[in-house]
Amino acid sequence: MEVFLSALNALVQGFANLTWEGVIMLALGILLLYLGVSRQFEPLLLLPIGFGIILGNLPLAGLSAHDEGGVINLLYSAGILTELFPVLLFIGLGAMIDFGPMLANPIVLLFGAAGQFGIFLTLLLALSLGFPREQAVSIAVIGACDGPTAIYVASRFARELLPAISIAAYSYMSLVPIIQPPIMRALTSKSERGTMMELGEKKVSQKVKVLFPVVAGILTILIAPMGAPLMGMLMLGNFMRESGVIKRLVDVSEGALTNIVTLFLGLCIGASMLGGNFLQWQTILVFILGLVAIGLDTVAGVLLGKLMRVLTGGKINPLVGAAGISAFPMSARVVQREGQKANPQCFLLWHAIGANTGGQIGSVMAAAVMLAIMAGMGIVPR
Amino acid sequence: MKDLAFGLTMTVMGMGVTFITLFLLTLIIRLLDRLFPLKAEEEKKD
Repeated sequence: MEVFLSALNALVQGFANLTWEGVIMLALGILLLYLGVSRQFEPLLLLPIGFGIILGNLPLAGLSAHDEGGVINLLYSAGILTELFPVLLFIGLGAMIDFGPMLANPIVLLFGAAGQFGIFLTLLLALSLGFPREQAVSIAVIGACDGPTAIYVASRFARELLPAISIAAYSYMSLVPIIQPPIMRALTSKSERGTMMELGEKKVSQKVKVLFPVVAGILTILIAPMGAPLMGMLMLGNFMRESGVIKRLVDVSEGALTNIVTLFLGLCIGASMLGGNFLQWQTILVFILGLVAIGLDTVAGVLLGKLMRVLTGGKINPLVGAAGISAFPMSARVVQREGQKANPQCFLLWHAIGANTGGQIGSVMAAAVMLAIMAGMGIVPR
Repeated sequence: MKDLAFGLTMTVMGMGVTFITLFLLTLIIRLLDRLFPLKAEEEKKD
């Protein structure tokens, strides 16, 4: 009888160790799975993250990212704490991106700079709310609207906020079609939104496409060496794509490599979200500040677009400025849709894609510059 | 006060350097486009 009771006791230990925070986290995991499967919100990420949350919060399973020696802890230590996963993702990202529309109309690159304005204003806001500098910088980078960059910075400077920052960055990327349109409409008139832009898809030579990642990589890394892992891998991926001579590596980079890393990254992020460290007021603040950052990015992009519309005598549609964030290609699609709502003859997708790819370079550049300045100030090691 | 100074420095320098870098890139792209213009056969191929 005693043996039977001991065995029974062992079998109920999982239930006995379940805390109310754990139950909430399990519910959150299930919610993310629902959003990923039924609503198709970033399913590639929400599925592994959601399942990771569930596995990480099951008591005694040893599957949280912080359970020393556990299988997910191994992945977390090797891929997140070393910043390897976000860096590898950038090779795939570079291999997927066609910089053609941006190279054909390079002025849209400036929208990629304006689209980072929210990062810096949010930094001020986070500092004023009392976040330490490293945490404030990490939270502000959510405004880059670029998951891997946000994870890269947070894993260096604010590991305690990494789960909240990652979830916020990826959630807002998928919510761009809901966040951006009201801001675009509030800042522009119908006639501004309906501004027609030159239709012809101007092209550049293949030599320009091949040389761009090399030259851009060298210049940006010389300016901000701290961003070299991200910018270097982005440009490597793009150079492989445009060189046209290593199709096998390009296929692997944009396919298998990206998929494997995305799976492990999502799983690790999910499994690092434990009730005790996630269910805090700080997490809510991170989400609010991230939303503010992306809103401010959109405001700055549209305002620069309005200015450029005036300077070019009405040749630029201000909505294109809103695509200067890194959420690719969601933001470009939103711009196209809003433009066509105002004027069915208005085709902005080509220009918006250019601004959107500019936003990807801009987001990495902004993060790299922040890291470089912090290193220069002695706040973080070089 | 120190944090405010840090934030303002980051904002001014960060935005400034990001803008200048991307502006330099636009100039480089224009230069590359001039040095290696699209050839007629490339245009036809597309």
